Amino acid sequence: MLKYSLKRLSSSFLTLLIIISVVFILLRQMPIEGYFDNFEKADPAMIQAKLNQLGLNDPIPVQLWNFLKDLVHGDLGTSARYSVGAPIADIIAKKAPLSMKLGVLSMGLALLLGIPLGAAMARRKGGFWDKFGTVYIVFINAVPAAVYHIFIQLYGTSFLGIPMLFDEKNLITWVLPVCSMALGNTAYYAMWLRRYMVDEMNKDYVRLARAKGVSGPNIMMKHVLRNAFVPMIQYIPTSLLYTVCGSIYIESLYSIPGMGGLLVDVIGRQDNPMVQAIVMIYSCIGIVGLLLGDLLMGVIDPRISFVKKEGAR
Amino acid sequence: MLSIKESKSKKLEAALAEQLKRDLDEQIENEDELFVVAEYDEAAGEKTGYSNYSYWRSTVQVFLKNKVAVFLLIVLASLLAFTFIQPHLPGQYPANLINNNPQTGKQLSNVPPSLTTVMVTAPAGTELNAAPVKNAEGWYAVDNVHESLKARTKFDLVEYGEQWCKIEYKGKTGYVKNNFQTKLKLPDDPTAVPYESRSNFKLEMYMQPVDYTNNGTSLYVEESFLTLGEKGMAVASADAPLRVLPSENAFWFGTNNIGQDLWARVWSGTRTSLAIGFIVAFFEALIGITIGVLWGYVRKLDRILTEVYNVLDNIPQTIILILISYILRPGFGTLVFAMCLTCWLGMARFIRNQIVIIRDRDYNLASRCLGTGTAKIIMKNLLPYLVSVIMLRLALSIPSAIGNEVFITYIGLGLPVDMPSLGNLINEGRKLVTSETLRYQLIFPAIVLSVVTISFYIIGNAFADAADPKNHV
Repeated sequence: MLKYSLKRLSSSFLTLLIIISVVFILLRQMPIEGYFDNFEKADPAMIQAKLNQLGLNDPIPVQLWNFLKDLVHGDLGTSARYSVGAPIADIIAKKAPLSMKLGVLSMGLALLLGIPLGAAMARRKGGFWDKFGTVYIVFINAVPAAVYHIFIQLYGTSFLGIPMLFDEKNLITWVLPVCSMALGNTAYYAMWLRRYMVDEMNKDYVRLARAKGVSGPNIMMKHVLRNAFVPMIQYIPTSLLYTVCGSIYIESLYSIPGMGGLLVDVIGRQDNPMVQAIVMIYSCIGIVGLLLGDLLMGVIDPRISFVKKEGAR
Repeated sequence: MLSIKESKSKKLEAALAEQLKRDLDEQIENEDELFVVAEYDEAAGEKTGYSNYSYWRSTVQVFLKNKVAVFLLIVLASLLAFTFIQPHLPGQYPANLINNNPQTGKQLSNVPPSLTTVMVTAPAGTELNAAPVKNAEGWYAVDNVHESLKARTKFDLVEYGEQWCKIEYKGKTGYVKNNFQTKLKLPDDPTAVPYESRSNFKLEMYMQPVDYTNNGTSLYVEESFLTLGEKGMAVASADAPLRVLPSENAFWFGTNNIGQDLWARVWSGTRTSLAIGFIVAFFEALIGITIGVLWGYVRKLDRILTEVYNVLDNIPQTIILILISYILRPGFGTLVFAMCLTCWLGMARFIRNQIVIIRDRDYNLASRCLGTGTAKIIMKNLLPYLVSVIMLRLALSIPSAIGNEVFITYIGLGLPVDMPSLGNLINEGRKLVTSETLRYQLIFPAIVLSVVTISFYIIGNAFADAADPKNHV
């Protein structure tokens, strides 16, 4: 276990380093306008002075080294256009908590709805809940998220008679964003739980339990559901960490001042340092989430062999 | 990682693996009999029974039983055909043409959807002013405005009506509207005609008590409906349909805010989006199968490719999409390139895993011993067994590529507006969504997009069920 953890940790670290370097190098290829708040008005001497001051005239390996050094100290650089001169870490620290609150709420809701739905689907294959759930899952997957989010906002707000835009102090405006965000995850949780439960139900120990005379609900709750939930645990840390990023669609639709809307904003304003920082945060979260998920799996289910896992997750 | 595509393809993979295992087990069970001298048995020689089970025929049969999926397949095929036929149909507006009103030269912006351009029909014998339209051969701009009266012009009112009043002005008789907009100056008893009246505002004097104008601008009619007279006058020779545009081609889906025809744009956009979907699916198959085969079959590459896979798989796909679209110039090529960069991962891993399982099976060993080349073993022995899962993955890749296009356009990195796609049509429509009357600009592309993606998903799911040997009879 320790050996596996160390190996997994080092490979994650390596991946992280590669991604940061690649993102950094790629973004150096962008036009330099993205580093100035008033590029059109600046004269060449000022531009050169600013470039020197930002260290953008150094060779790229030197820049990368400086950036990594700053990164270790928690310094992501300063914003160039979005909020001129403000440290990016501060901007994000202001925005992230709101996204997280919304995200955690919606994740809780999704688990609360998705697990019973998945269990009901698995319990009677071909029954009402199975059909209902299948239609729901296909619908959520097939209709592009942009479309149903827009329509939920449009008709939901007018139907409930609540404001269209989000207001942190007005709790009723939290309802629709949280519900919309939960829709997709509910479908995923239900889909995978059903699959894992059906797999478990076909196993011999379930047949044995049934032969012993254990009641149906008991088998479902104590044996099948518990075992089926194990593979899903792997994805929980990733989902939880991703709540920091917020939902790009939801936040820009409801004007929520969070991280998802921030990405759309800074892309619109071509703020290179901000895009770089946010993209890095997103990919780090992805990697750390997977790492935690794998380690958590190892803790929960010690039977899992770590040797065979190469490339076959 | 938690996608319906993975779920379905894993399920089908497992079913196929089970089937293969069962087939091989059957062979092994008969192993004792392999080297037994067969006695001559007349009955056995006469036996003609054979299994006519064919995997693909059964798959097609099971698929055809799913009526919804077959229906959607037909819908999708006709939709695809229609996107190509539509520009060649008569009377279509080009997708990027900005339509102007030929009289005023202004853009026909936000024209609501309508199946016809006919606004009103003038009965035979109606007198009209007519002037030929500059840019439209055979069309006349018509109206029935006799004269425009300035504000506070005095005239004689000879016949009072609730909506129209007959008046005389400088020896001409005509009709004016009597409503709160014209505010005619009336005596205490307005029916006691004639009397002198005036309006506080500008006033149109019409030839008939009907308004044959489009809010003051001319309507259009084909020359064949008119008998032309002198001084720009004309008489309708038959019931004349007066149109909003000098054209019989209506804007079925309306126009957008710069006067482009949404009907044409929606189909052009569907074509673009489907093209993106199919191209990405094609590259997913090409790159995925090539890398997967190399990864699975060439043992030396296994370690390197596994490491590369682990690195790439760890990065969220959305991030790669955003990053590439941000760095490169927005466009069709960029979008396809960004999606192709990661789409092959799942396919390659699937092919690799399957090949590792079956490459050393007895039949492949036998093939190798008999001197069959590697390429031939891969093409003939390995890939045919994987075709159904590959097809399933591709069918589900197309809608997700289309969805990704919508997403990238949404965050402002998509295709330019002069290349309509379902993504940028929805994005344009989204901005107008607060106005009830302009909502059609979102609804039409959204419906087409949903029909396309839902069809692909349902067809993909039905195919996955049909390809599962468990469901075969």
